[in-house]
Amino acid sequence: MFFQDVTRIVGALSTWWWLILCLMFLLYIALDGADLGAGIFALFSPDEEERGAIMASMAGFWDGNETWLVVAGGILFGAFPSVYGSAFNYLLIPLAFALWGIISRAIAFEFHVHAIGSKRFWGWMFAFGSVLAPFGAGVALGGALQGFPMAHHIAAEGVAGAHANAFDAVPHFAGGPFTFLSPFSIWTGFGAVIAASLAGGLYLCARFVPGDVIHERAKKWTNAFSMIALAAIVITLIWSYAIFPWAAAKWTGANWWVWLIWILVILGFAYKSMTAHAASRDFVALLWGEGVVALMWFAMWATMFPYIVPHTWGIQEASNPADSLAVFTLFMTGFVPIMILYNWYQIWVFRGRYTKKAMYAGH
Amino acid sequence: MVLENTLPVLLSRMDFAWITSMHILWTPLTIGMSWLLFFMEVAWLRTGDERWYKLNRFFEKILIINFGAGVATGVTMEMAFGILYGPFSQAVGPFFGNILGFETITAFMYEAGFIGLMVFGWGKISKGMHLFATFNVGLSSSLSAMWILVANSWMQTPNGIVLKDGLFQVTNWWHAIFNDNFVWGFPHMWVATVELALFVFASVSAWFILKNRNADLFTKLLKPTLLALLIVTPVQIWLGDSVGRDVAMTQPTSLAAMEGHYHTYLPDGKVNTGWHLIAFPNAQNDGNVFAITIPHVLSLLETHTLNGKVTGMDQFPANDRPDVWVPFYSFRVMVAIGFFLFFVALWGNWLRLRGKLNAESLRKNPWFLRAVVFSGFLPYLAIWCGWWTREIGRQPWVVFNLMRTYQGVSHMTLGQEVFWFVGYIIFELTVWSGAWYFFSRVIAKGVDNIPHSDTLFTHHDEESGHDEEKAGGGFAKPTFASKPMLDKSR
Ligand code: HDD
Ligand code: HEM
Ligand code: HEM
Repeated sequence: MFFQDVTRIVGALSTWWWLILCLMFLLYIALDGADLGAGIFALFSPDEEERGAIMASMAGFWDGNETWLVVAGGILFGAFPSVYGSAFNYLLIPLAFALWGIISRAIAFEFHVHAIGSKRFWGWMFAFGSVLAPFGAGVALGGALQGFPMAHHIAAEGVAGAHANAFDAVPHFAGGPFTFLSPFSIWTGFGAVIAASLAGGLYLCARFVPGDVIHERAKKWTNAFSMIALAAIVITLIWSYAIFPWAAAKWTGANWWVWLIWILVILGFAYKSMTAHAASRDFVALLWGEGVVALMWFAMWATMFPYIVPHTWGIQEASNPADSLAVFTLFMTGFVPIMILYNWYQIWVFRGRYTKKAMYAGH
Repeated sequence: MVLENTLPVLLSRMDFAWITSMHILWTPLTIGMSWLLFFMEVAWLRTGDERWYKLNRFFEKILIINFGAGVATGVTMEMAFGILYGPFSQAVGPFFGNILGFETITAFMYEAGFIGLMVFGWGKISKGMHLFATFNVGLSSSLSAMWILVANSWMQTPNGIVLKDGLFQVTNWWHAIFNDNFVWGFPHMWVATVELALFVFASVSAWFILKNRNADLFTKLLKPTLLALLIVTPVQIWLGDSVGRDVAMTQPTSLAAMEGHYHTYLPDGKVNTGWHLIAFPNAQNDGNVFAITIPHVLSLLETHTLNGKVTGMDQFPANDRPDVWVPFYSFRVMVAIGFFLFFVALWGNWLRLRGKLNAESLRKNPWFLRAVVFSGFLPYLAIWCGWWTREIGRQPWVVFNLMRTYQGVSHMTLGQEVFWFVGYIIFELTVWSGAWYFFSRVIAKGVDNIPHSDTLFTHHDEESGHDEEKAGGGFAKPTFASKPMLDKSR
């Protein structure tokens, strides 16, 4: 009896943290995705002034947006350390690239303003970092979807006199450095860049005054990328269906109609976003666009359920022991809405539309 | 120890050591300085003295550059445990993972939620709200240091857990969080951040006085800074001594390495009480080739008695002994710096007592100012040395006495480790050189172009045409300003 109860509690709490994890990653993708996309846009900016204006437009909150990734990482470590310790080991190379992208951006934000001779350099660091980060993260995501090999008796390898040890009870990552690499994972890297580019275009449209040079170009950019993104989504879905039996089984299983409705809703959101964009209701267009991202993201997590990493780590087996999960839940859940609140306040303080010149001068 | 340190293990240790060492270059200044800026802001609001406002806005520029570097290097840290120490992360998940989760939620996000308001919110939010934001940056960054220290101290003294099913499962949260090492380790770390920030203030002030730029303004800052240091520097020495005694009790191998203390007893059977000023450990790591030794000092330091017994390396099997070179010397450098900084604080306050702490007299005898400028760099070195002592002294364990470092290392090829190392050498050095270069530029530009605080809430027309003072000033407004496109003066 007792053990059954404990198992049930672990099941409930770990699913709870799985949901929060999903939400944190979503906040990261939705918020920083737009910032990253604006950075990709800046890759094609004609001058430093424009790159400066784009950076300045997020000066007050880019750090908050980016920190959702850190929070997601912390929750992964706090609730599902087994996944944290094996998946990140597996994804060393793509994560290293994503992190280098993030580093380049973070410092470019602070240095670009102060630079004289090196303005160009930091402008490019910002733009390149903005491409590298979603690409690396996208490859990592694709890699995670593929799952990875694990084994016991891995940790002590290569050490003379190593013996079987107490820590082998937990399976560790057992693949090689390039196990993550496949056509699919490279494709998801590009997919992430495309998605970010679209979000960035929508963000810039909403951020700059209609008629401003940046607004004009962002508009065209958004039009182009909404088509590309749509195509990318279709490709990704078909490809996933073909190579992931667990996804195929769900999508065309008994509940196929749920997924169909879901797709129709997504298409509806996308349509709303595009019409709002065409009518220059830019902020509304951004919100509908983010809605598409959210719906797709939820669909992906629902497809993976009950796994965190498909056919590698189930939610329950990867989670911390009941006691740790309970402590984590008791002390941390309450902070989640608070975090969202003060981040929202920060973004709200810095709301409003800008122009290239005013933004650049004002920064 | 030597056997376990195969090249892959050694390299993965270097991988981690490099990124943490580069991260700790930034965070202490953010923590310490945000509190100092908070007090400055209070001083400004209470007295209306414009000079505090100017100084605040000036140092804030340094803070934000520093913060950017801290974030850039910190995001890597959060992922690095899983990447470089996968099996370790899995095993310590139930406690250590939870704590890092606590930290990201209650500290990192908290800080990120307010730093933007603090730096870019001037003029956009009320003065009261701004002060509140500054306070929250101070509190959240200190919380972040606290949680990290909980996690790291627990690796030194893993209390409140049992090892079951390959995991460190928590038996007593209270003991695990307030573990032995944390009790003194955290205050010592936190005071180090304040000491560092105060010395950065003092050092920058001294530089301005030396160059005779805004000398009166910076003398005004130097006075309370030196007074605060008179309290902080001895407190830090006392805290350090307390940490040391705790290490002696809980991690005897680490202490023995710090002190190069190989033999518990002298050949004649008496307790070995000698403290080495300098020592050259031998290759077998079982004795010193050469040492300058002062009797009784070691016992005095660690047991506060003349002849107390201090356990030496010879009480432990050879493969449980840490390497001595780094802990021994980095510990000494830290202690030397601790006392030197105390001396500088005494010197400054002595000058003040004799009425010589004003710009003119100070410049007449520039040695004090030069010493203070130099002292701005020393806390950085002390902090590095403290951490190297601590982390290398814990070897060959990653969780003291329970998990060997090699057991915690990720499954990586040599190529991956080199890839990581080389990549981070490039990126971290770019961050470092960039940040220090821009510090120097902010300092070179000085305080003169910071506009009066009156301008905060009344939007001037942009014609006045200067830009730098508005960095983060929140002057951008949603209009088509007719201002020169690119101000070349930048
Ligand atoms: C401004 C910085 C600073 C200064 C002046 C000092 N320390 Fe320190 N020390 C640190 C900054 C620091 C630190 C970087 O903050 C450490 C590393 C981890 C920690 O908790 O504090 C540390 C660790 C640390 C340890 C722990 C080593 C371990 O855990 O294995 C000891 C025994 C001391 N210190 C002792 C001293 C003494 C006796 C000092 C003065 C005479 C002193 N420290 C000055
Ligand atoms: C930020 C200041 C820190 C510095 C400068 C620092 C420095 C180092 C160094 C020099 C090593 C290598 C030791 C060796 O292999 O000989 C190391 C290892 C390590 N440190 Fe720290 N450390 C810091 C903070 C932390 C914190 C806060 C944690 C945990 C929360 C931590 C966890 C580790 C781990 C897991 C290793 C790898 C295992 C090992 O080699 O012992 N470090 N660190
Ligand atoms: C004694 C060691 C450490 C202290 C005192 C410390 C403290 C801080 C502080 C105050 C910040 C805010 C940014 C800044 O100050 O520039 C920060 C940033 C960060 N640190 Fe550390 N840290 C330490 C070690 C670590 C370790 C071991 C990790 C890995 C878990 C880590 C992860 C991070 C992350 C992810 C950020 C960025 C957070 C943001 O976006 O605001 N830090 N750290």
